[in-house]
Amino acid sequence: MDKFVKLIQDVEVLWSKYHPMYLNGVKNTLILALVATVIGFLIGLVCGVLNTIPCAKHDPAPKRVFLKLVRGLIRVYVEVFRGTPMVLQAVFIFYGLPYFTDGAVAFRGNAGMWLASIIIVSINTGAYMAESVRGGIISVDPGQTEGAKAIGMTHVQTMLHVILPQALRNILPQIGNNFIINLKDTSVMFIISFTEFFAAHKYIVGVNNMYFPSATVEMIGYLTMTLVASFLLRLVERMMDGADNYELVQEDSLTMTAGTYNHPHRGTPFDERSKESRERVRQGLKFGRNRGER
Amino acid sequence: MADKILEIRHLSKAFGAHQVLRDIDFSVGKGDVTSIIGASGSGKSTLLRCINLLETPTSGEILYHGQNVTAPGVNAARYRSHVGMVFQSFNLFNNMTVLENCLVGQVKVLKKSKAQALEDARRYLNQVGMTPYLNAKPRQISGGQKQRVAIARALAMEPEVLLFDEPTSALDPEMVGEVLDVMKALAAQGMTMLVVTHEMAFARDVSTRVVYMNQGVICEDGTPEQVLGNPQKPETRDFLSRFRSN
Repeated sequence: MDKFVKLIQDVEVLWSKYHPMYLNGVKNTLILALVATVIGFLIGLVCGVLNTIPCAKHDPAPKRVFLKLVRGLIRVYVEVFRGTPMVLQAVFIFYGLPYFTDGAVAFRGNAGMWLASIIIVSINTGAYMAESVRGGIISVDPGQTEGAKAIGMTHVQTMLHVILPQALRNILPQIGNNFIINLKDTSVMFIISFTEFFAAHKYIVGVNNMYFPSATVEMIGYLTMTLVASFLLRLVERMMDGADNYELVQEDSLTMTAGTYNHPHRGTPFDERSKESRERVRQGLKFGRNRGER
Repeated sequence: MADKILEIRHLSKAFGAHQVLRDIDFSVGKGDVTSIIGASGSGKSTLLRCINLLETPTSGEILYHGQNVTAPGVNAARYRSHVGMVFQSFNLFNNMTVLENCLVGQVKVLKKSKAQALEDARRYLNQVGMTPYLNAKPRQISGGQKQRVAIARALAMEPEVLLFDEPTSALDPEMVGEVLDVMKALAAQGMTMLVVTHEMAFARDVSTRVVYMNQGVICEDGTPEQVLGNPQKPETRDFLSRFRSN
């Protein structure tokens, strides 16, 4: 028990001394994760849409070749970035660029670090989102596409107005998933000395060796961020679904609508019954028709 | 023949080795209400889907006012906007309200102004008795109501022909009537309609022409009195007798 008391004290010491550094780390982590998730989602959206362009046998040859090429490129992109660790991708891009250009082009200074981090996390997220978006699009009922085609919509119009709104609603939980993964996985960006939340920990324990208390702060910090994020995502989902009910504009003349029975002077059928029974009881009391009396 | 809107010539469709339609010749004149009847798998729905280019015919021609729409380079979307289609499974856009379902085609495809589209959408929804549900989402209304909205959505495009692919087959029995009533009213207004149906009463009382299909070919074609009342071919008699016994 006294160990826990000691831990709390240590955490308090760390927090009072280094909280600007921790908070700065939290801020950078949040910004990086949010920006990279948005950009990554956009990359995934473009890939997913390109991947699902219908390609029929009777289409002109150039279009077929182009679509094949695009699909091949996307496939390579997805496999490479999904199949290698993000830490390594960071090192690869951050140090690869100056290597090939003899230092002429490099990610320099604070801005360079931000740029490199955003690029790497976005591209990585995009590789995962490409598959999610594709899955979202093909999971929409084919009848929706037929309905849109039947009123003369082009493929682009069908996508924009009918398929994508439904597909995006369906993959919203996966977008949220990616955001939460990014909140945590941006921690590997310390490798290119990006000062996010985990880098703050590395620096602080380097100064005072309080490994475990600082890790506790980190744990609580990350968990708070992810919990708030999932709560907000649920809220967004519920907002997108809209209201469960709708307003009747007037009565439908062709159908009997069960459950909407209403009369201005009567209330619902349930009121009616209770009123009737109450009346019966009252009459009974008034005229004294009690049991045993005949 | 008066004004032919659609002319189908030597139309065939195969799915792999399976020949669904064989050498169909058929035409639709202005104001015709044609019922296509036949057993399941006889190719009725495929014929309708070919006419709307939702399926690509294997061979043959579909002429729309004399222009071949199966030729390469024809704008299929533009052609489809003139030929309305009502599906068995409604296919209303789930992400839109009843009103928006009837607006989107007018605004995006016909490029009408928002105000004009709104006025027309309301008029057509009123015609099918769906005004009370303007703001409802498809998942909140019944099958019969969905089908009525689907009809209004097709009407809002002001099509020359309206194709119905078994519009009442997915409905509970008590909702069939409300959809058939709407279709009867349309026929009375002179709308050109091509209806794949199992509703023999509709075929007999409403349509001006009945086509019986069997195994991918048009077996018998004539007025309802001829085809339903006095069928010439043994296959037709067979099919109709099965219907009566049910």
